[in-house]
Amino acid sequence: MKVRLAVLFAALGILAFLALLPLLYMVSTALKTFGETITRISPNPLSLEFWPRIPQWVNFAAAWSYGEGLAHSFFVSVVVASVTVLGVLATTIPAAYAFAKIPFRGREFFFGVFLTTLMVPETVSTLANFMTITRLGWINSLQGLTVPFFASSFFIFFLRQYFRQIPETILEAAQIDGATTFQVTLRIAVPAARAPIFTVAFLAFTGSWNSLMWPLMATNTLDWRPLAVGLTKFVTEAGPQAHLSMAASTMALAPIVLIYIIAQKQITDSVTRSGIVG
Amino acid sequence: MSRLSRPLAEARQRRANREGFLFLLPAGLIILIFGLWPLVFTVGMSLFRWRVVPGRFVGVSHYLRLFGDPQSLLWIAGAFIAGVLSWVVVLPRGRRVFRLILVLAAVFCVVMGWAIASNTGDEDFWASVRVTVWYALGTVPAQLAAGLSVALLLGRLRKARQSFRVVFLLPYIVPAFSAAAIFARLFSLRPESFANQILAALGQAPQQWLGEAKGLFTLLFSWGTGSATSDLASFGQAWAAGPSLALVSVMIFNLWVFTGYYALIFAHGLAQIPRDLMDAASVDGAGPWSRFRYVTLPLLTPTTAFLSLLGLIGTFQSFAHIYVLRTAAAQGTSDPVSVVIFNTFFQRQDFGAAAAQAVVLLGIVLTLTVLQRRFQDRRVHDES
Repeated sequence: MKVRLAVLFAALGILAFLALLPLLYMVSTALKTFGETITRISPNPLSLEFWPRIPQWVNFAAAWSYGEGLAHSFFVSVVVASVTVLGVLATTIPAAYAFAKIPFRGREFFFGVFLTTLMVPETVSTLANFMTITRLGWINSLQGLTVPFFASSFFIFFLRQYFRQIPETILEAAQIDGATTFQVTLRIAVPAARAPIFTVAFLAFTGSWNSLMWPLMATNTLDWRPLAVGLTKFVTEAGPQAHLSMAASTMALAPIVLIYIIAQKQITDSVTRSGIVG
Repeated sequence: MSRLSRPLAEARQRRANREGFLFLLPAGLIILIFGLWPLVFTVGMSLFRWRVVPGRFVGVSHYLRLFGDPQSLLWIAGAFIAGVLSWVVVLPRGRRVFRLILVLAAVFCVVMGWAIASNTGDEDFWASVRVTVWYALGTVPAQLAAGLSVALLLGRLRKARQSFRVVFLLPYIVPAFSAAAIFARLFSLRPESFANQILAALGQAPQQWLGEAKGLFTLLFSWGTGSATSDLASFGQAWAAGPSLALVSVMIFNLWVFTGYYALIFAHGLAQIPRDLMDAASVDGAGPWSRFRYVTLPLLTPTTAFLSLLGLIGTFQSFAHIYVLRTAAAQGTSDPVSVVIFNTFFQRQDFGAAAAQAVVLLGIVLTLTVLQRRFQDRRVHDES
């Protein structure tokens, strides 16, 4: 039994090592000198050659201020992702509540219409949406980067599952006490579904932070260029200067990894469950 | 409800209608403008000459340029008819062979249509469809197998399960553009790159990796290098060369990103399997393999179905993962459909042609979704 457990841990350990290897490579390269990225190389993290002789923390400062504003793009991404989260919560919570608890006429029909949009590939909607925001004059603007993502059928579908589980009697009791449906949603439904709402917020944040195709189209100046575009351009420009591009990558993924580590239990659980929703 | 008087019930319904409408309005507007309108607009745009600004109406000419010789369209229509027939025709028992023939006919028609379109139509577009199919074939089954294996290991764990889950999900959580920048480095064509260091440690010559346009099978067995005379033969040659090494590198990246995610979802599915069922199978003398084959696997079918559909549609959607990993040297051999459409739209600024490509992509994705549902329904049915 002991032996089997040891084998199990060894197997999982190797897999975990493989999952972490590219990230270790990123960090070690980010801390090397330019010369070391070419000469001091080893594919084995257990060997000293994998790591720099002296960690070059200055690389992060260099990447941060390199060229035209990776730092600026970083703040753009923070603003864009935060505004997207607020917009998503403002639209999806009432919609999900309506689909779950308000027996209005045509509910099934509208729900079906919403679900159809899940089938449309992003590439398809992106072309037309580009024309729409061009017409609205939203190129290079905060609205252009956020508003198209304010509502998502997936999030509505996801939250609806949880709102449906709230017992009818509690809601009715509140309404008899004179609460409006809006108050019921805000005071009862939202607190009851805190965990899935957090999941939606997290997924909306990472979705916005990670998206590349849309900001490539919707921005063409530095003003509102998010990190995804900034880093992609930076990696091309930095070319062989791997220590700088890896330092920039490290900084680009740091906020997401930080949130992930703080809320790891919540996120692993909800990502696992979000799979069952589809 | 029945205790309420009729006017009261009606007033209630009116209130529900009003409130439902108000609650739905914000999300509904956004979805209407940015989710549904694009469908109409894209189809419309594909019928016009449209380079940045709309030009004259050109009807289906973008589609004709895409498909080349109209024969290709006839073959695809044939495939569609054969496919629908194999679906709707109700056959008496023992005549299943007929259905099989129809399915094979449909497959043959698709191959013919695709081959003709590749040689006479928009070559880049159809090559990108081939890239996407290779990408799906090379990633989805591998991810399912790897994910399930990891999930089975995780399921046996009593301690430290959460720590492993956190580590395994990390590649999925990390932003794709960041992770792709790492893999651009790992699989770079430079001799000091990680992949070439591994090859060197194994005593092999370095490879071009992300900068290699040659197919995997060409490199390994020199397949697909002869000259071709007919549409079908050159189509076959292109397939025989296999996915380019650049695309294989992207597949490895994809496997790294998604295995952990698949594992966690599989682990959730495994946890739902009732223990008594396993115990009952054991009592009946089923060994570990038969328990896996006849209990675990059938009961996991919904999870497998969900993940394979997600993976399939995911490959047709994927953009950021691949866009960052493109190199000029790979000559577009790792460009899936989404990247080619993006380039038609954004680099060539041919909006009309890009819209036509997008409509074809939409058609492919919908067909695959329907097929996958159908296939899975039958599997579930057979297993029960």
